[in-house]
Amino acid sequence: MSVLQAYDTDSCWRCAASRSTALMCGDCGAPQPVAPDADLFTILGLPRRLSVDPAALEAAWYEASRLVHPDRHQMASSRARDLSLEASSMLNRAYRTLRDPVARGRYWLELHGRSIAGRNGHLPPALAAEVFETQEKLEALAAAPRDPTLRREVAAIRGELAERIGARVAQLRERYARWDADDATAPAVLDELRERLAEIAYLRTLAEDVDEALGG
Amino acid sequence: MSMGHVVGIDLGTTHSLVAVLDADGPRVIPCPETGDVLLPSAVAFLPGGEVLVGRAARDAAAEYPFDVILSAKRFMGLGYEHVSDEDRLRYRFAPPRPGQGIVRFAAGGRELTPPEVAACILRELKRWAEADQGEPVTRAVVTVPAYFNDSQRQATRDAARLAGLEVLRLVNEPTAAALAYGLDRRSEGVVAVYDLGGGTFDVSILRLRDGIFEVMATSGDTRLGGDDIDQRLADCLLGDVPPALRGHPQVRAQVLALAESTKRELSARDAVTIELGLPGGGSVQRTLTRSALEELVADIVERTSKPCRQAMKDAGIGPEDLVEAIAVGGATRMPLVRGHMERLFGRPPLVSIDPDQVVALGAGIQAGILTGGRRDMLLLDVIPLSLGIETMGGVFSRLIDRNVTIPTAAREVFTTAVADQTAVEIHVLQGERELAADNRSLARFAIPIEPQPAGVPRIEVTFLVDANGILSVTARDVRTGREHSVEVKPSYGLTDEEIERMLEESFERAEEDVHERLLREARVEAASMLSATRAALAAHPGLLAAGEAEGIQKAMAALEAAAGSDDPVEIRDAIDALNRSSEPFAQRIMNRALEETVVNRPVEEL
Repeated sequence: MSVLQAYDTDSCWRCAASRSTALMCGDCGAPQPVAPDADLFTILGLPRRLSVDPAALEAAWYEASRLVHPDRHQMASSRARDLSLEASSMLNRAYRTLRDPVARGRYWLELHGRSIAGRNGHLPPALAAEVFETQEKLEALAAAPRDPTLRREVAAIRGELAERIGARVAQLRERYARWDADDATAPAVLDELRERLAEIAYLRTLAEDVDEALGG
Repeated sequence: MSMGHVVGIDLGTTHSLVAVLDADGPRVIPCPETGDVLLPSAVAFLPGGEVLVGRAARDAAAEYPFDVILSAKRFMGLGYEHVSDEDRLRYRFAPPRPGQGIVRFAAGGRELTPPEVAACILRELKRWAEADQGEPVTRAVVTVPAYFNDSQRQATRDAARLAGLEVLRLVNEPTAAALAYGLDRRSEGVVAVYDLGGGTFDVSILRLRDGIFEVMATSGDTRLGGDDIDQRLADCLLGDVPPALRGHPQVRAQVLALAESTKRELSARDAVTIELGLPGGGSVQRTLTRSALEELVADIVERTSKPCRQAMKDAGIGPEDLVEAIAVGGATRMPLVRGHMERLFGRPPLVSIDPDQVVALGAGIQAGILTGGRRDMLLLDVIPLSLGIETMGGVFSRLIDRNVTIPTAAREVFTTAVADQTAVEIHVLQGERELAADNRSLARFAIPIEPQPAGVPRIEVTFLVDANGILSVTARDVRTGREHSVEVKPSYGLTDEEIERMLEESFERAEEDVHERLLREARVEAASMLSATRAALAAHPGLLAAGEAEGIQKAMAALEAAAGSDDPVEIRDAIDALNRSSEPFAQRIMNRALEETVVNRPVEEL
């Protein structure tokens, strides 16, 4: 976008005060172009760590929104309005990504140059047995969608899956705290993070399939 | 530089309102002539070319059923394929034009798109606001159902543009209602807003904290509302009408009006007796109880349950997390609807602000927020439906998920499948279904590229959803960094050129219209001024100063003569002259009246 490309200075476009990576000029309050090197943590003014305090995150998001949201710059010049739109959408992306431990973990990998296994990545070996079992049940249900016993079994699987996903996300949070205390950018940590995220992603896809099978 | 006030407009399916934020809070602006605050969303295009808006238009519906367009909002941003058989009974549509998806009504010998009809309503509200503010009003916050898709939002903005209003912000109706309640009650925590309007249903879950109104999730049905209840009841009442008369458009319009008033009466009473006069004499009578009505429409009200559960699920909350459940929309006056809300949300609904006015009041507040009048409040709204594009095999590939806070952006890089392609075609859709064909088509556009081997071009497309929930698309060649122009062809909307043309046409027509209206208004005012002056002269001869009566009589004679002219300015000048010559006399009458009230009042009250 033109707004991003226009970034070529270390000073505020409006009042020429020197600026940091913040979304707003501290002197004149004008929204600023998002710096090309700004990461989502910096945008919200949070430390670059895997663990994020939800209350601090929300407070940071609210506070920044009060400053950069387009509603605050409706009467300003069109340049300021464009920048506020850009900054605000970046801010919302930062909040959305950092709020969820899984999305945050994926972003952490991206930030450290690791590719992320997508939705259709390879089946994590730890899950193979139960995935096959569930898929067999789903196939049976597809053949006999009204079978009450099958429906009950699949509904039970859905409940178990939700619990398993919850437990894994909770585990992930514990790891984040431990990794932060040591070195969260170490290659071994990134490898383990990637593996754990792939498992959760796989379980979530499976849960969606189960939902769909039951919902139809 | 004064830029005039920004007003808040609730452009509703059955009625519309305009509000403004004053120093002591929001207030709705009344019609300068009648004092009404609700403008029926009805526009009559009479065969002679005359256009009526509001109550007069609604009253003409029985006589001209197809020339009066009611509930035009239901068709905003829609195409012919969305028109139902039932719609064809109530409206007459122009034949589709090749290559154009947008619906056109045929009324009064003209063809009109829904935004043009809505523009007539907005123009009337603009007039009310200008009479109230005493200066031109050119900017507004306009509300839309939260569940409106991109086409419907664009159509609303187009309507405002046609009416000479710049939309500073489109605000979701339930969010506006939450603003009005938030300012009023200062509550904190999670609230549900249940908005059953005339033609649309919305539910939003919001979190209120420190003046921030964060929408957590929204859901709804843009074709479900109080209108459906009226229609159901009307169909039932039609059963009493002799079969030969049932298809009669005037009878249908009359029965629909009767159904609407019966529904309202049954919110206050247990039973009503209704009587329907038939063309050619005779009438039909019947008594209807509230419980009979409730049984008749129970399934319509039940259809609001699924969106409510979906919104709570998407917000990750349950009824026990709510601190309040707010009722919005005229249909929530029905005890049946209130009971249903209580079952869904586990608490009696909050109804302390008039459910017909609360959305307009909220829009007025948002107008104040945008102009810097309320810096303590901020809305963080969401996009109601996922946005994406059609990819290989007709699959819908999501770029932006529903219930994501706006503004929001997404980027995707595209390439070519065939060598020497000169353009990349992109089809933008909105909805939650897996297949592209099952979602709503918003637009198609082509990005021109230089011919290259397949897979070599890299085109980065950015989707940006602004704070109005409206999408814009930009494209950039990743290799060269060059921006591409994106020609968006809306699937069911108006192009910029069409809007320009409509604006030009309406200006030509408007000049004649304005002259006529000003003349009529000036004559009415002259007549009422003359009769009031005559009455005052007769009632208070003792308050006249020496020679004053002669001066007033002379100004009256001049005004009487001027009223016969065709020039509204001449009449206005004569009105002003009479005003000036009678002003001291009028002032003395006022003072006398004031003295009398003071004298007659007990001392304690002073």
